[in-house]
Amino acid sequence: MKQNLKIGWLYPDLMSTYGDRGNIIVLKKRCEWRGIKTEILNLNEGFDEKLLNNFDILFMGGAQDAQQQIVTKDFTSAKISALKKKVEDGTPGLYVCGAYQFLGKYYKEPNGNKIKGLGILDLYTEYPGERAVRLIGNIALKTPDGNILVGFENHGGRTFIGKKLQPFGQVMKGFGNNGNQPAMQDGKTLQAGDKTEGVIYKNSIGTYLHGPILPKNPEIADWLIEKALERKYEKKIKLEKLDNSLSQKAKMAILSRITS
Amino acid sequence: MLDILFIVLGKIVITVSKLFNLGSGSTWPGHIALSYNKNFIRNLLSKNKNLKIILIAGTNGKTTTGKLIRTILEKNNRKVLQNEEGANLLNGIASSFIKYADISGKIRCNYAIFEIDENTFPLILENINPEIIILLNLFRDQLDRYGEVNIVSNKWQSALKKIKPNVSLILNSDDPKIAYLGNKIKNKVEYFGVKGTEQSIDHASDSTYCPKCGNKLSYKSITFSHLGDWTCTSCGLEKPKPDIESFDGYPLPGLYNRYNTHAAILTAKTLGVPTDKIAKALKDFKPAFGRQEIIKYKGKKIQIFLSKNPASFNQSLATINDLKAKNLLVILNDRIPDGRDVSWIWDIDFENNLKNFKSITVSGDRVYDMALRLKYAGKNSLMSNEILSDAIQDSIDHIPENETLYILPTYSAMLDLRKILTGKAIL
Repeated sequence: MKQNLKIGWLYPDLMSTYGDRGNIIVLKKRCEWRGIKTEILNLNEGFDEKLLNNFDILFMGGAQDAQQQIVTKDFTSAKISALKKKVEDGTPGLYVCGAYQFLGKYYKEPNGNKIKGLGILDLYTEYPGERAVRLIGNIALKTPDGNILVGFENHGGRTFIGKKLQPFGQVMKGFGNNGNQPAMQDGKTLQAGDKTEGVIYKNSIGTYLHGPILPKNPEIADWLIEKALERKYEKKIKLEKLDNSLSQKAKMAILSRITS
Repeated sequence: MLDILFIVLGKIVITVSKLFNLGSGSTWPGHIALSYNKNFIRNLLSKNKNLKIILIAGTNGKTTTGKLIRTILEKNNRKVLQNEEGANLLNGIASSFIKYADISGKIRCNYAIFEIDENTFPLILENINPEIIILLNLFRDQLDRYGEVNIVSNKWQSALKKIKPNVSLILNSDDPKIAYLGNKIKNKVEYFGVKGTEQSIDHASDSTYCPKCGNKLSYKSITFSHLGDWTCTSCGLEKPKPDIESFDGYPLPGLYNRYNTHAAILTAKTLGVPTDKIAKALKDFKPAFGRQEIIKYKGKKIQIFLSKNPASFNQSLATINDLKAKNLLVILNDRIPDGRDVSWIWDIDFENNLKNFKSITVSGDRVYDMALRLKYAGKNSLMSNEILSDAIQDSIDHIPENETLYILPTYSAMLDLRKILTGKAIL
């Protein structure tokens, strides 16, 4: 029987800047090249939260402020519980930039105004005052399993993840979660300039990496696909190898530039 | 008095830069003058009260629209000055004044046409009182530099609150955020649009939400990206009725150039040029640097379509497909004028636009990112070469005498490309 995966793209109209669509293209193609069928469903404003249960992979991208507000309004408490359940039950998910911040407890705007997040993960984000610079540039990081990833970050908010959470990676070059910004002195968070990037919880990844992340880091795309198949078919999966030479070249070009 | 010194000094800088092929010295002179006297532009303009200024802002189409207006005015015996390619910040504007002023500070032109950087637009309005402001469109572009589209349109809205009552606005009716800028303003506003046919919204789409109430907009028709016949079913805001939406005899192909042409025609009409004379002048139009510009190189015909963001890239692809293009060279750079983040290439609709090409070559600082993008769009047989001159050679070697090589470069890539093709620097 042919394997198939259902991919849910949360708010493609509202939460899609910076070529986020590339992540969906990569997931789809890498499945297709291996004979795995994919079905991609766009989950737009007003979608029924019961749909969430059907998906094997979830993706959500970054948003502009006005759009983010519409999404915030759309997340009823029932919808929040449904998404939390997906994260907790190990459904692979990729949450980039605005979506990553949104999974946390709150986002504090430059003017001090606090916007409530979904509260699914123990992290928070603060934009430290009107005059703080945005953290912009190419970034390289190393994941706990030794992968080196590259991307482009562009965020004003500094994110601090809870002590029990595992960062997605350690920053080799770039800013990552919080650059050099001092943390809130509440004793519950990792220290300032902790050089962490993103978060990984069960099979969900939160990250600031645009680029988009998946084309130049196919190991992450494959990890998501593998976890999704294992969860769905309840067996160990070893994905067929694909030719990654071009993505490797593109990655090396950036790495050699930013680490030289 | 000091101002005169800067005019003389600036003119020397311009001459020297040209002499040594260092580019045309289009920003230094103004930069120096402004750093010593921040009122330099205001002072100069107070001596030239008859000079009428036309400002053009928008993500795409500024240079072409400026050139269209310039052509119409010059063919009708008006003297026009224009800022140099890319010199679209305050220092570039000041430099243009230095170039055209005599040493008494007199500028012997009737009109000045300035294309303005999106972020600088509010600052320019503090220094200059224009006759006409043309706002073309707002597309997603260089998010690392400009920020998000909403931020830019909000800045523009507050800047427009301070303009004098005699300033005329010429706005795109089909771009919701631009059209809305004319909504509450007391100035004279005229709108240009384009009759649309297509129904689907591009992936690069940005402002499909109501600029007034934030609800999702409905479209009766779409020309491209988020431009079209829009209406908000929630608050009732709708596309203003355009004063022009078609023209007989477009000087350039491409839907996007219809918008540019309509904006130029409305401007010329506002300045009193009769309709028949506008049409006649446009017959002799020659495109601006890199905007559908045709160059002969080593016996082969090359046409350059500057493609700097998803919307302009999609339009270039659509236009060259209409022109039955067979050979393509794409050049992707990530320098400051291009935007350092190349994520935007994933918003280009390559998937539906590549099937007619016989040969595709990629080059530029981010050649492998572009090759990877095309691989995921289903193109495996590519030539890629990091070195631009080699990539051009590879491409033209592969095409027969009677075929054209179409080149789609980002901004800095276009400058490099022209330097190779013509042996001269523009900037």
